[in-house]
Amino acid sequence: MSGRRTNYRGDLRYKRWYKTYFFSGSLFILIFGWSVAHLKISPRLFWEGIPHFFNLVTEMLPPNWGVFSRGKILWSILETLSMAFAGTSLGAIGALFFGLLGAGNISPSKVIREATKRLLAAERSVPPLIYILLLVVVIGLGPFAGMIVIAMGTVGMLGKLFAEAIENIDPKPLESLESTGATRIQMVRYAVLPQVIPSLIANTLYRFDINLRVALFLGVVGGGGIGVNLQMAMSLFRYADALAITVVTLLIIWVAERISDYFRRRVIGQEILH
Amino acid sequence: MRVVTGKTMSRYQKYILPAGIFGFLLLGSAVMCRVDPVALIAGIPRGIDLFGQMVPPAWKTFPELVGPALETVEIAFVGTALGASLSFVIGLVAAHNMNSNRILRNTVRTILSVERALPDLIVVLFFVAIVGLGPFPGVMALAASSIGMLGKLFADAIEEVDPKPVESMVAIGATKAQVIRYAVLPQVIPSLIGNTLYRFEVNIRMSIFLGVVGAGGIGYNLVTSLRLLEYQEAMAAILTILILVTLCEKLSERVRRIIVGQELLR
Repeated sequence: MSGRRTNYRGDLRYKRWYKTYFFSGSLFILIFGWSVAHLKISPRLFWEGIPHFFNLVTEMLPPNWGVFSRGKILWSILETLSMAFAGTSLGAIGALFFGLLGAGNISPSKVIREATKRLLAAERSVPPLIYILLLVVVIGLGPFAGMIVIAMGTVGMLGKLFAEAIENIDPKPLESLESTGATRIQMVRYAVLPQVIPSLIANTLYRFDINLRVALFLGVVGGGGIGVNLQMAMSLFRYADALAITVVTLLIIWVAERISDYFRRRVIGQEILH
Repeated sequence: MRVVTGKTMSRYQKYILPAGIFGFLLLGSAVMCRVDPVALIAGIPRGIDLFGQMVPPAWKTFPELVGPALETVEIAFVGTALGASLSFVIGLVAAHNMNSNRILRNTVRTILSVERALPDLIVVLFFVAIVGLGPFPGVMALAASSIGMLGKLFADAIEEVDPKPVESMVAIGATKAQVIRYAVLPQVIPSLIGNTLYRFEVNIRMSIFLGVVGAGGIGYNLVTSLRLLEYQEAMAAILTILILVTLCEKLSERVRRIIVGQELLR
């Protein structure tokens, strides 16, 4: 209610309110208005789109389940799943390596640790779109390029999360192993891994969910898999095919997510590799 | 560590089956992906060669890239702003302390979770199919794909507000709009803006991709120059994209740090 009561000038609070919000509010409106004008967006476009929308709906229905009779489509969906699975697995293995190098308590040296962190940060800041476009030039179109891009994105994100997880372990087992003269590999195996593996697996499964979507997306830009078929059906105006592909793809992604969810829940709080 | 050797077998026994299944799946998916070490090794000199063709980047094309780069940011900005505004309304409808109609609430929540399950890519492709090419379908697609996530986060944030200010305002007979303005907004605005900024970062990347499917912006320049084998121009576009993404992330991080923990619009 204070907003109403302070509506007379001279009130300190009102002045402050006025200054901050007037400035940021008008800045926002200015940028917004300018962008809308520059992009030539008008509500008219929206109204004109509505009949198109109904056209699209009538063309899409009923979905053409016949596309699956050739079997190639199901194969493509499997390809997308494989890209996500192989990419996530390889990426997670790479991320464990970089995570160990980047964690302050186990990394061999400070220089290596800092270099690893920088490398991972740089890797994360490059959109996967750029990787796939360049990789397609280098090793050609297809799911292999898509798999590599997924693995790279996974290393960037999981490497950071793994390094943080490793830095947050209970230091006592590590110290006691060190005092007995254990090698670095032994320290990793007996002090680090048992503590971090559940969180590593949970994070990897979470990343797998993301990667399913990335795999779908990569298809459109040359990474193979069902994304190619979907994009094709759309650009050839075969909307009934597109809808059938979408529905089945979503169903399969949903099942894959449920499976990963199940494992994530099972793994959390467990002691693995003890 | 050697002392336990006798026990080692039983210690690892329970991991044999899961590891075997995992290995089998990995092998199968690698075959499906047509993993080709030969292509990878052959790709190394080709990659070096490509890089050689890309440098130096065609600096002279930068002025031409400013327009599309701006367009990419604008698409992301307008799309996020529209999506966030709609999400706020939807969030109010889906929050149990603002809307007592259980059926409406659950319907909205279900729609939101279905929307979240839809990959953004599919939303984008459908909008391009409906509205055609150009920046407008891009804006609509980003707005629509933001709603699933932001709508849920906003609804959750609204449900978690301290109920006391809401109750006291209701008790003195304030209208719904007044309750929202004076009891809800001041508590949720920082988290709303924070989440919106996060979504903006996602949308910037989406917006670059939108150019590839023909919805305007810098992604289009990158793809065309790669198709025309103009690698120096492509490098210029890549650098522009990287600068763009980094700048937007830095900016949104700074704004987020300013507003987090503050009470705004009191």
